[in-house]
Amino acid sequence: MFQRIAESSVIDGVDIQLDGEICRVPITLSVAAAVLFIKGDADYRRHVDGHARAPFCLMGCCHECLITIDGEPNRRGCLVSVAEGMSIERQLGGSQDDG
Amino acid sequence: MGELCQAEIAIIGAGPAGMAAAIRLTQAGIRPVVFDMGNAPGGQIYRQLDVPVIGETLSGTDYYRGRDLLGDFSRADIDYRPRSQVWWGQCESDGVSLGVVDAAGVSRWHVKRMLLATGSMERSWPFPGWQLPGSMQAGAAQILFKEGGLVPEASPVLAGSGPLLYLLAWQYCRAGCAPQRILDTTPASRYRLPLRYLRGAWQGRHYLVKGARMMLALKRAGVPIHHGVEALEATGKHRVERVHYYWRGHWHHQDTSLVLTHFGVVPEPQLGRAIGIPYDWHEGQQCFLPERNRSLQARTRVWVAGDGGGIGGALNAEREGRLAALSMLTIPTNDVADRKRERRRLEQRRATDLAVRPLLEAMFRLPSHWLSEQPDTTLVCRCECVSLGELRRAIEQGAAGPNQLKAFTRCGMGPCQGRECGESVTRLLSTVQALPPQEIGYYQVRPPVQALSLGELAATATDA
Repeated sequence: MFQRIAESSVIDGVDIQLDGEICRVPITLSVAAAVLFIKGDADYRRHVDGHARAPFCLMGCCHECLITIDGEPNRRGCLVSVAEGMSIERQLGGSQDDG
Repeated sequence: MGELCQAEIAIIGAGPAGMAAAIRLTQAGIRPVVFDMGNAPGGQIYRQLDVPVIGETLSGTDYYRGRDLLGDFSRADIDYRPRSQVWWGQCESDGVSLGVVDAAGVSRWHVKRMLLATGSMERSWPFPGWQLPGSMQAGAAQILFKEGGLVPEASPVLAGSGPLLYLLAWQYCRAGCAPQRILDTTPASRYRLPLRYLRGAWQGRHYLVKGARMMLALKRAGVPIHHGVEALEATGKHRVERVHYYWRGHWHHQDTSLVLTHFGVVPEPQLGRAIGIPYDWHEGQQCFLPERNRSLQARTRVWVAGDGGGIGGALNAEREGRLAALSMLTIPTNDVADRKRERRRLEQRRATDLAVRPLLEAMFRLPSHWLSEQPDTTLVCRCECVSLGELRRAIEQGAAGPNQLKAFTRCGMGPCQGRECGESVTRLLSTVQALPPQEIGYYQVRPPVQALSLGELAATATDA
């Protein structure tokens, strides 16, 4: 659903684990951007009401990008840069602890 | 939480205002501490400019203009702390106490003076379906573009009002993914307003010429632009599949998987409100702004600069950062006359630059009754899934103000802490009760103003 344009500069990649699957993504991306890049927005997160939600503002305000990073749930994926070996799990269960 | 950290001056935010203030302070021999939520200096406007991903032909020249500022910032002796969030603050007689959380954990700070340079956020403007995946704010799309050169695979629909909408459309055209159409809620007649604001138009001609060029480029690229769209809706089973728009007396439909909206920007209010700065409704900017004096001071030991104090753009933010720094320098020195001259020059340039604002505000003025005309099912609070209908009923049942409405419905009690619904609630109450927004007010904002993990909360509790 989002793709890299050919004209953008060459960026190093890092390997991250998204729900157990190893994926290579540009190092400049945030976790939220990386998930949008790999999976698109349809299955980013399940909200408390059971409906699908996806990042809305990507600048730390809306909290729609909540995601589990290295085992810690409800982190704002837009504020965390991807890193080599990082483990990311989407919160698709439809529950949400107060974060 | 460990020992108390101290600094002469703390700056919150490293966008143009925070960077310019920090640089100016170092020139006076002060080493400020800068807490930044981002991973690198630049704020939203100059995001990723330290290691740019997109070239100047795609970004436009205004983005690359920030390179000098970034260079000066990286060379100056500044205690820069990226990935740091200020989650708590309190004004005291001898300074400001702050709670900071970063990768190392939570820490407590005491600073003598503080500058809030926390910038703006996209204005939340509810319409049916805005919570569906496939509906994003234009600012988010720009962040993907700057951060990784990411553009939508399928051509998006852009909707809303304001310069950023056209900048994004223009950038997408340059990148080879022209939008399907632009649904502009601004009536076409408004684009003739510069004729009535001649002074502002002349002094802001740079902005107007830039805007006109972008619109012309879009027309040449064959992107349909509909001016005066009056209503908007996104529908789809699990994600956006179609947008519907009311234009020239009829509903129109467009298949799309992505609708990018923009309805202007407003100051990010959380920390300013939490430390007790009074905010006033600004009729021109249609939002609350912190009360500041001419020296950009909001409290005895607190200054506010940049878009967090009122929307003026990146150049204005830079000037305000410098002005605030000058005002924060209280130590008498032998260059007082030089500083006075510097301040006068900055104030003059700022006034010239801001002269275009009343025109831009009039051009892109949003209909204040928009929210009250939406269907009852429209979500207002995205976090707690509170609909417009529930809010209307709670108001009928006697919820008289924003805090009562929050207690009645849980509106504003979710993770975003009311950032996305706060001004909507004010606007709705203002329409229903026929009172000005200033009298309605806003939620009482309390710390933590940034989400803390349970572990971090526990660490702050053991210290208390």
